[in-house]
Amino acid sequence: MNKKTSQQIAFIIFRILGIFVVGILFWILGFIIYNGIGVISWKFLTEPPSEGMTGGGIFPAIVGTLCLIAGSSIVAFPLGILSAIYTSEYAGNGYIIKFIRIMTNNLGGIPSIIFGLFGMSLFVNTLGFGDSILAGSLTLGLLCLPLVIRTTEEALKAIPDSFRTGSLALGASKLQTVNRIILPMAFPNIITGLILSIGRISGETAPILFTVAAYFLPKLPTSIFDQVMALPYHLYVIAVSGTDLEASRPIAYGTALVLIVIVLIMNLMASFLRRKLKKY
Amino acid sequence: MIEAKNVNFYYGNFQALKDISMVMDDHTVTAFIGPSGCGKSTFLRLFNRMNELIANTRLTGECLVNGENIYQKSIDVTELRKKIGMVFQKPNPFPQSIFENVAYGLRVDGVKDKHFIKQRVEESLVSAALWNEVKDKLKKSAFELSGGQQQRLCIARALAISPSIILMDEPASALDPISTSKIEDLIHVLKKDYTIVIVTHNMQQAARVSDKTGFFMLGTLIEYNDTRKMFLNPEKEETQNYITGRFG
Amino acid sequence: MKHTEEELIFIKEELSQMWRLVLSQVEKAKQSFLNNDIELAREVASREKRVDSFELKIDSDCENYIALYNPVAIDLRLVLSLIKISSTLERIADFAEGIARYVIEDACKALANDLKEELRVETMFDTVIEMLSDSYVALDSENTRLSGKILSKDETVDEIYHNAVKILANYLRNNPSEIECGLQTILVMRKIERIGDHCSNIVEEIVFYIDAKVLKHSNDHE
Repeated sequence: MNKKTSQQIAFIIFRILGIFVVGILFWILGFIIYNGIGVISWKFLTEPPSEGMTGGGIFPAIVGTLCLIAGSSIVAFPLGILSAIYTSEYAGNGYIIKFIRIMTNNLGGIPSIIFGLFGMSLFVNTLGFGDSILAGSLTLGLLCLPLVIRTTEEALKAIPDSFRTGSLALGASKLQTVNRIILPMAFPNIITGLILSIGRISGETAPILFTVAAYFLPKLPTSIFDQVMALPYHLYVIAVSGTDLEASRPIAYGTALVLIVIVLIMNLMASFLRRKLKKY
Repeated sequence: MIEAKNVNFYYGNFQALKDISMVMDDHTVTAFIGPSGCGKSTFLRLFNRMNELIANTRLTGECLVNGENIYQKSIDVTELRKKIGMVFQKPNPFPQSIFENVAYGLRVDGVKDKHFIKQRVEESLVSAALWNEVKDKLKKSAFELSGGQQQRLCIARALAISPSIILMDEPASALDPISTSKIEDLIHVLKKDYTIVIVTHNMQQAARVSDKTGFFMLGTLIEYNDTRKMFLNPEKEETQNYITGRFG
Repeated sequence: MKHTEEELIFIKEELSQMWRLVLSQVEKAKQSFLNNDIELAREVASREKRVDSFELKIDSDCENYIALYNPVAIDLRLVLSLIKISSTLERIADFAEGIARYVIEDACKALANDLKEELRVETMFDTVIEMLSDSYVALDSENTRLSGKILSKDETVDEIYHNAVKILANYLRNNPSEIECGLQTILVMRKIERIGDHCSNIVEEIVFYIDAKVLKHSNDHE
């Protein structure tokens, strides 16, 4: 077999595999859209569930998910970005910082249910927040913290050192260099990382299971100590433990569709912002 | 006046500079030449303390600028770097407008007077022989400039904070011949007002721009002499071998 | 202007100063010879040192220029020409000094002025002085149109010299007592003839610099 034919064969194999992967993705998407599009209506998006979850809408769950996204962003973003700035700009490359970096990566690999259990024992019970937006946001925040740190670190590391030395050589302090040069340059990539981590938390079920999510709660939250419904958990509930599973099946697909659309919008926003903000 | 007294410098256990002593006079251009890894860039970076950014380094001996040891405790390193500008091998303008690039050093220094900043930016761009090319597009991104223009922008940026000394680390090695000769002419003009120390791979460049030349090899200063003397009749055989290309 | 260019212009300026000096040396040698002016001849002899130091200075400047700036093409040709022209000018000045020394030694005042006229010494002097100043103009204006004219003047000089030999031979046959003076005179004229040859060499160098043509040792220049 000569070089050319072997190359062609390899090419065909790669192409088939690629099409296969994309095919699966489109199949899932198509399946959910096909089954869920029927129930999507203004009413579905703006009304609470009714008739034992076989009718009505998912409005409280959408609001709940948005609350949790906002809450966990407030927890994770400042903490994550600041610690990433510390580890990549200030800390150098000692043993301690290497250890911290490894532990951060490990944290990202811990199953989310364990975060749920941890959140329940610490925030819900020990600190006495109860099942609440606060406890849920803290838990989700912790969950996405490694991701935020990692993506921010990567964004900072992508800035060539020549900009740092260039700024320092002009008599700028380290803080001025980070504020005026490094952060503005890394900003598009940091934003992208943040939005992707939002996408991640909006889909998590396990961490909110024990910390915030309500089985059925038609009224909207009034404070951070209230429980809320959330899309992924709601989907789980109507898929496995509703009063009439057959009757609520279309609503489950509709809920899945809404969740996917939210994540999709987040991702599109991320790539749009990255392109838009990249000035150089 | 810049002076090194018995300078030794170590990267970890590796000794990069071995007992170097030399004096560089005001308003002259001093060039450092030598094979890669001979320590010439390391030596240059001692004088605005850029080597401190690298972990696990050690310095013995004294580096004096105008008679003052720049490594003593009372020296504020950011103040030092304002007095001793630096231009790097690759042009490294910031992702900002041309104007903001030049104004950067003033802004981090806390200068608020807009009129003054504007004036300094113009003066610096004029001194860097770039004003005529950019005066109509000061608001444009610095990345729109060509490589040679970017390097002159970086020189203007260094000039804006009125240093007395400019260190140049192979400032033309990433540029085409035309841009290179513009930079060299610029160096020739700037030496009236500044003390310039330049590291270069290019011996001819050292010959063209400098008044005095130091030849480094394996961390040692082999010969330091008038450039004319160095290129016509060097004292050391190593120097002769290197500049005639018989080295190694 | 590039600073390397400034350096070249500086050397060129030095050379033109030297040129003016040598020109005046030849001029004064002529005056002193024709008028038996010993004072003037002394002046020529004493200024010879200045010509020498010009040559040394231009040589070392050219060496430095080559060592530092690695000239190529027209710059290289210019530097090479400058070196050769300066050493040629120095030789010309040597001849002028030689003529002056002859006047100083004062051996033969007797040589009558009408004989000098018959030998056309003054014309010969004037011709080489023209050659010298014309070739300076050629270098200064970077124009080689004059080169043919200058080179043809050298033939005039040669012709005068050869005629002078015959005239002197005749003269000395009739006046054997003045043989020593006659020989001295022919030596002076020989020096003037050599100045003419050197001027030709200078013109050839200028043509090499400007047109990159080698005229040397080719017999086809008019």
